[in-house]
Amino acid sequence: MVLAAAALLAATACNDDREAGVQRPASGNDTGDRIVAGGAAPPAGALSAVRPANPDPDDGAKLFGAMNCDGCHGGGAIGWVGPSLVDGRWRYGGSDEEIFNSIFYGRPKGMPAYGGVLGTDGAWLLVAYIKAQDVPPVVPTTSWLPGGSAAGSPPAQPE
Amino acid sequence: MPPVSRSNVRMLAVLAWTSVLSPRQAPAQAGGDGEWTMPARDYASTRFSSLAQITPANATRLRPVWTFSTGVLAGHQGQPLVVKNTMYVVTPWPNVLYAFDLTEEGYPLKWKYRPDVSPNAIGLACCDVISRGASFADGKIVYNLLDGHTVAVDAESGREVWKTRIGDLQEGETTPMAPLVVKDRVIVGASGGEFGIYGWVKGLDLQTGKVVWTARNLGPDAEVLARPGTFTPFYDKGTDLGKTSWPGETYRTGGAPVWGWMSYDPELDLFYYGVGNPAPYNPEQRVGDNKWSSSVLARRPSDGSLVWAYQFTPNDNWDYDANAAMILADVSAGGRVRKALVTFNKNGFQYTLDRATGQVLAAPPYVHVTWAKRIDLETGRPVLDSTKLTGASKGNVKGICPSLEGGVSPSSPAAYSPRTGLFYTSTNNMCMDFAAVSAQRVRGTPFVGAGSPYHAGPGGHLGGFMAWDASAGRKVWEIKEHFPNWSGSLVTAGDVAFYGTLDGWFKAVDARTGKLLSKFKVGSGVVGNPISYRGPDGKQYVAVYAGIGGDWTLLAGDVRSDDPADVRPPSDPYKDLGRHTSQGGIVWIFGL
Repeated sequence: MVLAAAALLAATACNDDREAGVQRPASGNDTGDRIVAGGAAPPAGALSAVRPANPDPDDGAKLFGAMNCDGCHGGGAIGWVGPSLVDGRWRYGGSDEEIFNSIFYGRPKGMPAYGGVLGTDGAWLLVAYIKAQDVPPVVPTTSWLPGGSAAGSPPAQPE
Repeated sequence: MPPVSRSNVRMLAVLAWTSVLSPRQAPAQAGGDGEWTMPARDYASTRFSSLAQITPANATRLRPVWTFSTGVLAGHQGQPLVVKNTMYVVTPWPNVLYAFDLTEEGYPLKWKYRPDVSPNAIGLACCDVISRGASFADGKIVYNLLDGHTVAVDAESGREVWKTRIGDLQEGETTPMAPLVVKDRVIVGASGGEFGIYGWVKGLDLQTGKVVWTARNLGPDAEVLARPGTFTPFYDKGTDLGKTSWPGETYRTGGAPVWGWMSYDPELDLFYYGVGNPAPYNPEQRVGDNKWSSSVLARRPSDGSLVWAYQFTPNDNWDYDANAAMILADVSAGGRVRKALVTFNKNGFQYTLDRATGQVLAAPPYVHVTWAKRIDLETGRPVLDSTKLTGASKGNVKGICPSLEGGVSPSSPAAYSPRTGLFYTSTNNMCMDFAAVSAQRVRGTPFVGAGSPYHAGPGGHLGGFMAWDASAGRKVWEIKEHFPNWSGSLVTAGDVAFYGTLDGWFKAVDARTGKLLSKFKVGSGVVGNPISYRGPDGKQYVAVYAGIGGDWTLLAGDVRSDDPADVRPPSDPYKDLGRHTSQGGIVWIFGL
């Protein structure tokens, strides 16, 4: 079926060829026939996960391809099966910690909990990549108007 | 065009509705000529209605007589059913089933079945959370929930009779296809060609929902149910072809999904279905033919035994899924009438196969094709243009036609009229560039590895609707459309054909000439399939869903506004689509 148009992988297959089954979070809501895909509240103390000193967005970009993030969120993270990550708008909050939680613990409607695959360092690299993206004040959606942009409120800045 | 039916073209479906089949062979499947009890109306998948009140002379007076909002905004593929003066509608996820009483003014709701269906399926459905509809059999409405379950619901009461888990979301399996019911078997398959599934079909017991057999579309013979003496492919020899045509164990994540339409020939006792793309898209990770991806398979419904298989696109380099409708008709080929299977493959060729053996009888291109020069009828294999082969080592390969949306999108089933002898189908006029890269499978996540931007094919228009003569291998007439065309087709004994457009027009045209008879703007782009039925008042009606979707390139820009936290730029090459339509979910009924 059709998925490819936006799925331009950034680069590099991972050197590790493990069949990386997504692990359950400690408080997972897996009911047997459902993937572990979030809705679970972060355990107490989760946010104290040690953040690397200077996570490199370029390393995050490689992970974004190697872990198939772009398969759902699209090449350049412009949105596909999953939502755009470069429109400045967030379902679950756009602070570094909120994005980290979305990646690590997953979210409803199909965002897998990637913590078991990535570890905290990997999740922070992805946060660094996402936050390094250039986000326009208003995403242009109206090609037939001069400038290609219609009215729309600029997204609120995350805390 | 000849004024009456051609002597060289007859149709299996005629048998079905005149009850030549014994009830033992096909219980409760024929339906009256005013009903529509299975996705394509008949086992031959003709989408031909024998109703003839609506004609080219009066179709200009067609008007909407009823509308209903389903309350769901995703792409409304598939079609309603009409059984015993009740209309059944299955929505996209969350897969609500409505039953409307057609005998009362305003068609009030009889009941509504709301299944427990996992929201996690949303993130695993490659191409929007669509449903392709239900089948009616033995007093039950049978359909698939997106999250890997099949349900049977009592058609009178709306009570759930059984619910069976058939797929595994953890493996990336989702289940939007419409089941085929043959005798006591409910035949189902899974999507997930973009998630590296190990593709399969299953046969369930109609009474209990129990899984009776499971047949892989790839892998060793024991799992493919290719049994010695029973499996006799026309072109291929050897054992374990579904395993040996893949490197190592790669077939286990090789995709080969089942998301399209199924047909059944009661005389041969074979059902036919197309299999989708191999995974990942990068062909260098799966050197070999990759059988039986991008193929058509013929099996026995009772035990799933494979009888023959034919691969349209070996080592598919272009995402040319073969899930399009397999229409069973008797077509002239090589100077004589053959029991044929006709399909408009994504890869741009219209194949006419002997449906008893899988031999290719004809395979002319029906749109602009660049990836192959022709299909060799001796070997059944395409004669490739080597400059259009893709792979991670080849970089960005330009000018591949058709695009991976297909010359005909498999979501948009064609129709066949025994009166005109012609096939009717939506078409796409798009080409693509294709840049494959190495992909790694992480279970339950996409396994793709390619980018493939589209552009318009010759002429600049992006789609159309055409009448096609399979016996002659030529287009009879065509209506060009500005956008790609992704609705299914309907043709009637009144010689009127119906289709919808992505910019939200529902159109009636003269089946013999292509002349536009009427059109109506239905509120959202049409990706569903029109049907026709006779109402309790004795009048002929036509029903269709409006509700754009089924592909993320459509649900971009201003077409979509259901999520304030998800704003995307419009997609090439239809950036202006949002000027003409937006999401919806509407059932329309038209009458005179």
